[in-house]
Amino acid sequence: MHTLISQFWQLTFSGAVQGFIYILISLGYTMVYGVLRMINFANSEIFMVGTFATIVVSRDILGHQPNSGDLHGFTLIYSMLFCLIASMLASGVTAVIVELVAYRRLRSRGTNRLAPLISAIGMSIVLSESVSLLTAGRATIAPEMLHKSSLFTILGANIRVDQLLVFIVAPIMFFGLQRFVNHTRLGKGIRAVSMNEETAKLMGVNLNRVISITFLIGGLMTGAAAFFFETVYEATKFNIGFNIGIAAFTAAVLGGIGNIRGAFVGGLTLGLLETYASAVLGSQWKAITVFIVLVLVLLVRPNGLFGEAIQQSRV
Amino acid sequence: MKKNMKLGVALVTAATLISGGAVATSASATTYKYYIAYQGPLTGDNKQTGLDEIAGVKYALALYNKANPKAQVGLKQVDDQGSGPGASVVAPGTAKDKSILAIVGPAFSGASVASFPYYKAAGLPLISPSATRVTLTDPSSTDFGGPVFHRLPSKDDKQGPALAKYAIQGVKSPVVYTVNDQSSYGTGLDGYVQSALKALGHAAVGTDSVDGTNTTLDFSATISKIKDSKTNVVIYSGYYAQAAGFVKQLRNAGFTGIFASGDGTYDPGFIDGAGDAAEGARLTASSAVFQDAGKAIAADFKKVTGNAPGTYATEDFDAANIILSCIKKGNTTRAKIQKCINTGTFTGLMGNTIKFDKNGDTAGAGFINAFLVTGGTIISKGQI
Repeated sequence: MHTLISQFWQLTFSGAVQGFIYILISLGYTMVYGVLRMINFANSEIFMVGTFATIVVSRDILGHQPNSGDLHGFTLIYSMLFCLIASMLASGVTAVIVELVAYRRLRSRGTNRLAPLISAIGMSIVLSESVSLLTAGRATIAPEMLHKSSLFTILGANIRVDQLLVFIVAPIMFFGLQRFVNHTRLGKGIRAVSMNEETAKLMGVNLNRVISITFLIGGLMTGAAAFFFETVYEATKFNIGFNIGIAAFTAAVLGGIGNIRGAFVGGLTLGLLETYASAVLGSQWKAITVFIVLVLVLLVRPNGLFGEAIQQSRV
Repeated sequence: MKKNMKLGVALVTAATLISGGAVATSASATTYKYYIAYQGPLTGDNKQTGLDEIAGVKYALALYNKANPKAQVGLKQVDDQGSGPGASVVAPGTAKDKSILAIVGPAFSGASVASFPYYKAAGLPLISPSATRVTLTDPSSTDFGGPVFHRLPSKDDKQGPALAKYAIQGVKSPVVYTVNDQSSYGTGLDGYVQSALKALGHAAVGTDSVDGTNTTLDFSATISKIKDSKTNVVIYSGYYAQAAGFVKQLRNAGFTGIFASGDGTYDPGFIDGAGDAAEGARLTASSAVFQDAGKAIAADFKKVTGNAPGTYATEDFDAANIILSCIKKGNTTRAKIQKCINTGTFTGLMGNTIKFDKNGDTAGAGFINAFLVTGGTIISKGQI
């Protein structure tokens, strides 16, 4: 308890950073659920692909090495931008492929709702085991691009540059996405499909295209999360998506799966809750605390804090 | 939390594959009259340890088969995924396979306990390179693996006190915080470290358990607690991949005290992962890294197995050589090999003498070496 009080702002800041990463990943679950009413179990591996894309680009294409020192100025900026875009694209493309392979074919054949679930799990195993074979199951270390220097101390919290970056850029991306869904033609299409698939089709919405784009957007956001994750933690492994995927899925359910604003609140709540619980009870109690809170929230609000479905997030 | 539906599906598939396939996999190319087996995690979350270990066995076999072209010995791979449930799937089939004369393994303590009933019944001798749980060689425990079980590493009750002593050595007023990775190895070792610290009069001011699956990389809450307790010595019990991430974040958070860890961290991979943050880390282990045997042999190891020598490579190499030297003496039944292991005196890679006591521990075991990470390499500081 003492730690929680004396380190409150430090914990809050770290928890929020973790929460923002969860938010971006949970969009991969929530967007897909919104339009398909199905859970994209491969999203954790879409995240994993993003983390590897970040490392491959910075190490093999840009030629930075884990111990070659930090980058500065222009090199730093273009390296990070390049990695961010690569990670987003890699995850986005993977998500679209997952949709094509695991969902579209089955959907067009009109199978029951469980079949795509299993095929998505299959895709997820294929992805993680393939990377496991390629990397011999070892952790891969990312080059340190951004030096983890402490910028300033505020209310006793030590603000590090990498964490601050996540703290600022992740919410911008989130609100950008929300604007896109609410105000663009494509976004309206996504919302139309999420309200009623049949009616949307009759209104001239190209269903397959909307679904592909939804997967793409979810993947892009998950890829951005992967880049931020690598910036802060600098390591990945074939099964890296597993725990963080469950956490992000939990965040989506907590906020109300299918609901974009819900993902924001759910992710942030989860990040803070995990950090506080670790500080007060010990890290081994983190998962237990989180799930007790989740169950309690669902008992009171069965559809999560903000209720289900994208369409309800309309302003 | 670790096991969700996805894993469940994977396990069912894997179990089917393993029960039918894994024991027989390596027999496909050439058939040999006699085999030794390696048992450890070859798939799943801990497969990195298993792949590092089996490379040590493969290297020993390659050297043996080159020297004895007329009486070559084969290798069978037994994948227990490092877990008790995994082991109870593969152990029965392995015990029945009469061509297997002895096993290097099981790698993990939990998997060892689950395997013992089958191997005891089949009289199949085991030499574990890495199972360190104290009760495995304690005849009064239900975990006891005798008479078939032997092991090369020092037990945790020897290492814990040595690690505690080394960690606070030369520190004026040590304030110690211990961290474990929730694995049975990590929590076990941490327990011995804590009681040793108490005995030394510097009981730990706090303890935390972090997720050791290497899929959670955020240690900020634990680090906040460490900083809050004004700690100047942190002792981490767990494996190197996670330890590397941990020490990196610890140093990034401004911790300037001592970081110490046991043989799970005693690996060049720790330095690769942690970079500058590894500098000054104090490590303990009951063996030497394979690389200490010389650059030439380490390079040959890599050439033959495709991997640089990793965790426990020395112990695996030694364990395989003990069995192979018994086979070479004409012991070609399980019972004879068992007797040969129990009564023989062997020489390890580092020129050390290996002899087992009646419970399966190396006789006179208990020496622990101290190491210091200096200039990006692990430097030996002698016995502690």
